[in-house]
Amino acid sequence: MLEISKLCAGYGRIQVLWDIDLHIGENEIVALVGPNGSGKTTLLRAITGMVHTKSGTVNFLGEDIKGKSIEEIVSRGIAHVPEGRRLFPGLTVRANLELGAWRTKDTNIDHVVELFPRLGERLNQIAGSMSGGEQQMCAIARGLMSKPHLIVIDELSLGLAPVVVDEIIQQLPSIAASGTSILMVDQDVDAALSIASHAYVLEAGQLVLSGKAADLLADPRVQESYLGVG
Amino acid sequence: MDTFLQVTAYGLLQGGLLALVAVGFSLVWGIMNIVNLSHGAFVILGAYIAWEMQSWIGLDPFLGMFVSAAVLFFVGYFFQRFLINLIVNGPVFITLLLTFGINMILIQGMNLLFTADFRSIQTSYGSNSFEFGNVRIPLVRLLAFLLAIVITFALVAFVKRTRTGISIMATGMDRGAARLMGIQARHVYALTFGISAALAGMAGTMIATIETFDPSKAGKFTLMAFVVAVLGGLGNMYGALVGGLMIGLVESWAGQYLSGTWVNAIAFLVLIIVLIFRPNGLVGKAFYAARVEF
Repeated sequence: MLEISKLCAGYGRIQVLWDIDLHIGENEIVALVGPNGSGKTTLLRAITGMVHTKSGTVNFLGEDIKGKSIEEIVSRGIAHVPEGRRLFPGLTVRANLELGAWRTKDTNIDHVVELFPRLGERLNQIAGSMSGGEQQMCAIARGLMSKPHLIVIDELSLGLAPVVVDEIIQQLPSIAASGTSILMVDQDVDAALSIASHAYVLEAGQLVLSGKAADLLADPRVQESYLGVG
Repeated sequence: MDTFLQVTAYGLLQGGLLALVAVGFSLVWGIMNIVNLSHGAFVILGAYIAWEMQSWIGLDPFLGMFVSAAVLFFVGYFFQRFLINLIVNGPVFITLLLTFGINMILIQGMNLLFTADFRSIQTSYGSNSFEFGNVRIPLVRLLAFLLAIVITFALVAFVKRTRTGISIMATGMDRGAARLMGIQARHVYALTFGISAALAGMAGTMIATIETFDPSKAGKFTLMAFVVAVLGGLGNMYGALVGGLMIGLVESWAGQYLSGTWVNAIAFLVLIIVLIFRPNGLVGKAFYAARVEF
């Protein structure tokens, strides 16, 4: 569904990503891991048109979306849950969710409340006044409102209590199963690799490892660098 | 006592108009972080359009103001879409410079087109008035005041209740996140600026029915909009209403009880005092809670 090949991207004259190849299939969860500053966020931003792509292709559902505007890419069915969640802080949870359905105009919220029942209790609360975990649920739910083919989630667990992270991560397989593939970046490598089917390891803007998540979890290089084993 | 009531009534009526001048200015500042120095020129342009409509086809100014609003909506939309959007993410100094330039072009353009002579819009009912006890309320001022209030509330309802309005608020809170929803920020910005200009045009028409105008008055209205918007609370549309009424009252009282040159000084004194005690303006927190940019 998403096929990235030989992608180079960066900010202005500074190139951050070098020759990235990445593949995401239908109903799949893919994890992207790597140290700080390795370009994970930049790669997600390159997919949704938020940073300038220099060369390579980003093929989504059979069409090259590289160089298209953010609005155009989002309209084709990629939702982006940005780092720091970026809810509309002064609006209610319901208004945030409805804005997630801006492009489809289908403001039925049942399917996301089913995933995160806690949001159902807080629909009329101002989004900025919720806890971090609830805000992350709201951000993911907002992304899912348009029933996208792919949702990219940046730093899912950043700054959240582990118990809430578990609550959110548990829901990812059912999201993927219902037709929205997931590309996630997370600092909790163990959790990310446990839930994902495939994973990519990014270092200094280049892919250094990729494969089945279970294989990477057992790979001594990953264990040493990211899991503190050995 | 009768004088005081009369002066107070005039102040409130004038305040409603100031609120209508300021509400669009405040909207643009709150949503896009643009201090639009050409806002006063839009007010005056609205007055000229309604004046011309009356002199060409005899259109009543209270209908002509909708023509002013429509024309200024398009003027505002195109200024933002094709000019101001180019630098909207730049430092505030650059947007100040650009809107200052637009202001000069509009004022000199109006000088050339309409000359610098004083004008006002005369109506057959212009001298009618009501008496409440010993307080005299001119009909035109009352109509203008009521319209200003209705339009302000309608704008708030539009922004808070409609799909387009909520997209304006969302874009004001977080432009990047709004784009990730698929909202076209450039269009939303242009729409916001167009609405602001349209409201300025309506305000200008009403002002033209109660006092004289000429292109050089533009600066005065920009300044008033600035003071009222800051006083009420930036980006808060009810704030513009409260701020407008307050400045209207203060100016009216000062004009009555102090010598003429004190009027502006007192208005700014009130602004400073309010900001010392309520730095976010009279109505407190702006309707957007935070601003984030990519």
